[in-house]
Amino acid sequence: MHDGIHVEKAGLPSATICTDRFIPTARGMAKMWGAADYPTIFTEHPIENLDRWQLRERAEGLATEVVTILTGS
Amino acid sequence: MTQETTTAAWNDIFGAVEALYDLGWTDGLPVLPPTADKVAEFLAAGGRQGSEIVGELPERRREITAEKVAANAVMAGCRPEYMPVVLAAAEAMLAPSFNLVGPSSSMGGAAVLAIINGPIVQELGINSRNNLFGPGNRANSTIGRAVRLILMNACAAIPGLYDRSVIGHPGKFSYCIAEAETETHWTPLHVERGFAADQSAVTVFASEAPRQVRSVGHPEAILYAIADVASSLGTSLSTSGSVGDPAAGIRQGETVVTIAGNSGLWKDWTKAGVKEFLHSRIQRSVADFKRARVFPGDLEPGDEERMVPLTASPEDILVVFAGGEESNMSSVIPSWGPKVGSTSVTKEVRR
Repeated sequence: MHDGIHVEKAGLPSATICTDRFIPTARGMAKMWGAADYPTIFTEHPIENLDRWQLRERAEGLATEVVTILTGS
Repeated sequence: MTQETTTAAWNDIFGAVEALYDLGWTDGLPVLPPTADKVAEFLAAGGRQGSEIVGELPERRREITAEKVAANAVMAGCRPEYMPVVLAAAEAMLAPSFNLVGPSSSMGGAAVLAIINGPIVQELGINSRNNLFGPGNRANSTIGRAVRLILMNACAAIPGLYDRSVIGHPGKFSYCIAEAETETHWTPLHVERGFAADQSAVTVFASEAPRQVRSVGHPEAILYAIADVASSLGTSLSTSGSVGDPAAGIRQGETVVTIAGNSGLWKDWTKAGVKEFLHSRIQRSVADFKRARVFPGDLEPGDEERMVPLTASPEDILVVFAGGEESNMSSVIPSWGPKVGSTSVTKEVRR
């Protein structure tokens, strides 16, 4: 969240993906940095147990949302 | 940014305790009211102005002032003369190489262990012996508690919000020990780390809970048992992810080892010798790492014999002579993560 918000503030579009067990923490960080509306994609927790193929599948399922946030459309 | 000061009023001590709960300033146990007079007394004892910046936590937009440190020391139940120690601990954990945002937020559940060395140990009566990690000594209990309250109240390490420890551990209430350096020929920890013997210092270490090691009273037997416990699967050091040295495949990191008992037992050993002995034995086979799925892949010939050290150097083992004289109980305390994630830091107690 911290990095995504700062990259965005520096003028580079960013899309941050966070697992859903961390929604309060992510929202709190965004508010702390004056970016309460910072768009964040939440995906089902956990991801640390996924192998590379499962992780790729998860990422592909989020790709459309990422593009929407990065392009604003 | 420096946080504003919140003020509150109350009629009696019980009202104050409840008001402090309502403000969310406690660790779950009652705290003492940080009245303006008491905070001023603690600042004077620490020789600081209230507005002085002790350190920063930039990821959470926090500048930690001496006033915040003093208020939390009062709440923790410290005596004013503990302030220089609490300030040194705060400075140490806010040093960039400690990377406080990591251990104070991680699922790994680290506490900040404070190890005190130097003349201040005797002056303040900081316990280095029986019940080393246990209750019963005001200095240990309240200095360690002050560290936790500073983390929660000044550094926003709020359980469930920014502190996402999965299980935490009891050291997160208070985790402060001293080295029994006047009772051993071993070089004190702070001297090993570049300070003079007549200086006092605090070493902070982001770490898991202590694992007790019980062994018979012979140096090599004690060290053999310590190395076995320190080589466990399931510690932060013996897992993958966020590794410092990718060639190692595991996190490695630092380990604190406390050794209790009669120092005469160690008359033929130096600390350097203890570290060398342990470093060469704190290790685990590639086969075990594969069975635990720390390393990927199937077992191959030679995996049982190929060993991976859990610490990169003997200097990553911090040996502290501490604990009761009654028996040869030791402890192994693994670091929260690799050194690139957080490294132990020692700061002088300034008086």
